[in-house]
Amino acid sequence: MKPVGIWFRRYLLQFILLVIVIAVIYALYPNFRVDATIERIIPLGVIAAGLAVTMIAGEFDLSIASMAAFSGAVAVFLSPLGLVVSVIIAIIVGIGLGILQGWAIAKLGINSLVFTVGTLILLRGMTWLVTGGLAIRVGDITQTDVFALDLLFVTPLSIIGILILVGLGIFLSRTRWGRELYALGGARQEAIAAGVRYKRGMIVAFGISGGCGAVAGALVSARGGSAAPDALGVMLILALGVVLVGGISLAGGRGSMVNVALGFAIIAVLSAGLAGMGAKAFVSELYIGVLLLIVLMAEFFIRFIGERSRRAKLRRLAA
Amino acid sequence: MSTVENVSTNFQDRAGLRRGINIIRNFALPILIVLVFVVASFTVTDFFKFETIRAILLATSITGIIAVGMTAITLSGNLFSLGVTATTVFSGVIYVWVGQATGSMYVAALVAIVAALVVGIIQGVIVGLGLNAVIVTLAAGSIIYGTIAILTKGEAVQAQSVDLSGFATFQIFGLPLPIIVFILFTALAWLLTEHTLIGRRVHLLGANKNTARNSGISPMGTTIWAFVAFSLGIGIAAVLQVSQTSQIQADNLSGLTMDVVAAVLIGGTAVTGGDGSPIRSAIGALFIATTTQVMVLAGVPEATRYFVLGAVVVALVVVLHILRKAGSR
Repeated sequence: MKPVGIWFRRYLLQFILLVIVIAVIYALYPNFRVDATIERIIPLGVIAAGLAVTMIAGEFDLSIASMAAFSGAVAVFLSPLGLVVSVIIAIIVGIGLGILQGWAIAKLGINSLVFTVGTLILLRGMTWLVTGGLAIRVGDITQTDVFALDLLFVTPLSIIGILILVGLGIFLSRTRWGRELYALGGARQEAIAAGVRYKRGMIVAFGISGGCGAVAGALVSARGGSAAPDALGVMLILALGVVLVGGISLAGGRGSMVNVALGFAIIAVLSAGLAGMGAKAFVSELYIGVLLLIVLMAEFFIRFIGERSRRAKLRRLAA
Repeated sequence: MSTVENVSTNFQDRAGLRRGINIIRNFALPILIVLVFVVASFTVTDFFKFETIRAILLATSITGIIAVGMTAITLSGNLFSLGVTATTVFSGVIYVWVGQATGSMYVAALVAIVAALVVGIIQGVIVGLGLNAVIVTLAAGSIIYGTIAILTKGEAVQAQSVDLSGFATFQIFGLPLPIIVFILFTALAWLLTEHTLIGRRVHLLGANKNTARNSGISPMGTTIWAFVAFSLGIGIAAVLQVSQTSQIQADNLSGLTMDVVAAVLIGGTAVTGGDGSPIRSAIGALFIATTTQVMVLAGVPEATRYFVLGAVVVALVVVLHILRKAGSR
């Protein structure tokens, strides 16, 4: 089969969903705005990308939304230094904490789901400490103008978001360290036996997810000029929705940034369209839940039928 | 190279060490709670009083009941449910609505618990088919939350003409009903998981799914039972919660899911399944409530409280993990 054909088949379900969602939203709401959709890449798309990298490596980073909230708080807290500088510091801190997290998980050999539930609570506590429990604001609000520029369809933030997705896509599929994450996620024992370094893989995966969380959180806070102790809490669930609707395997070792981009497009079109129609946030949460269940069931039955036909073929061959 | 005797003494040493480590692992949290208690009694004024202990237990009861129920899911190897908040709110709203319609809080409580069970069993069937529990419960949670928010228009639902607070105000020996229910529910859950066939099946399914299936245990049936236990906890907790506050809103209880998961984890039940106990989760919930209450009485600011709690959870999770690894070597 030609590469295009393989590519098409791999993402078929997501393509169909995307087309349906776009068609429905356009039919119901003709003056739907594309830029409002793209703008959601910060924070949603980038957080989903970070989550996807850890899932490909066969792990979970549940702390990523807390990381985003923490970095946002740090960026606003340090804004007297200049907002651009404080955003960069917040991102470096986020990457550093992510690396530390990956190192600890590899060193302890602990289940990342367990460890990151702990750090989810810890980072949220650190966000409370930095903000002092109240919403904090950037002193000089004109500093946020840089982050809110509008260039036709995109803002600088959307460009950063797209660049991160593309960059991670290239990293995962074209570099050695990226390929090693697939190996660790798909068949860990075999990968380690073949010489893939487990600890480095964990540090890379969690460093990336920490960095993605930090970029998303810091930029959102910089755009809005404020940070709150309980901000972005819903992002974990939304990002998980993006990743899973996009079709990244929970078992690890499979999926790519194309999946993340497709999942993001589906969820973002849906929620931007519903928000444009004046629906409350909980309405789109309902639809995302339904979508998630549909994708999950569809993939389950596709696998089930595939398995059955494979067995039937084997039986025919044996007879 | 060591001789045979050396190996055998080594082995015996290690057996003793392992036993010691397992004792520490089993009793670390209760000892820690007692320690926090003793220290607080001496340092925090007005701490060592019946009212304080009652307040701690009351604060534990809602999270504790759900954590005890969730232990069944974790034990059965299905990680945890991320739909706790949504299902609890759903069940609570049903309690208020039925209470309003029928005027009887007993009928309302029954319907609310049955509603939680129905939602839970549906999820149990889907998970039993072989789908990932975390994702199914997450999706189900979103759907339930969205539905409830649409039906209530995002506003608070409260009982107007009827009094639904009976379950919270009822007391035996000065202990409010939520505390007694919490203790009874934990005892029942312990009895079921440790001393009945279904409990053993849940354990085995979590320990090794393939072996369990080959020995004739139905993964579907066992998973459904685990979800029944969980939903029962949710339903009871929702009724008790709404009895205390006498109103409920779709956006309420937002931190409940993570509190429950944290309670199960620091209690020391293994996320991989097969190892743990409902009592552990109850103690985990008790520990969180005790530490929080001590800090509240000591006048620690809210922000610092969250931070300390987070640090304690991470530290406990790591220590328990190291102890489990050392104990099973």
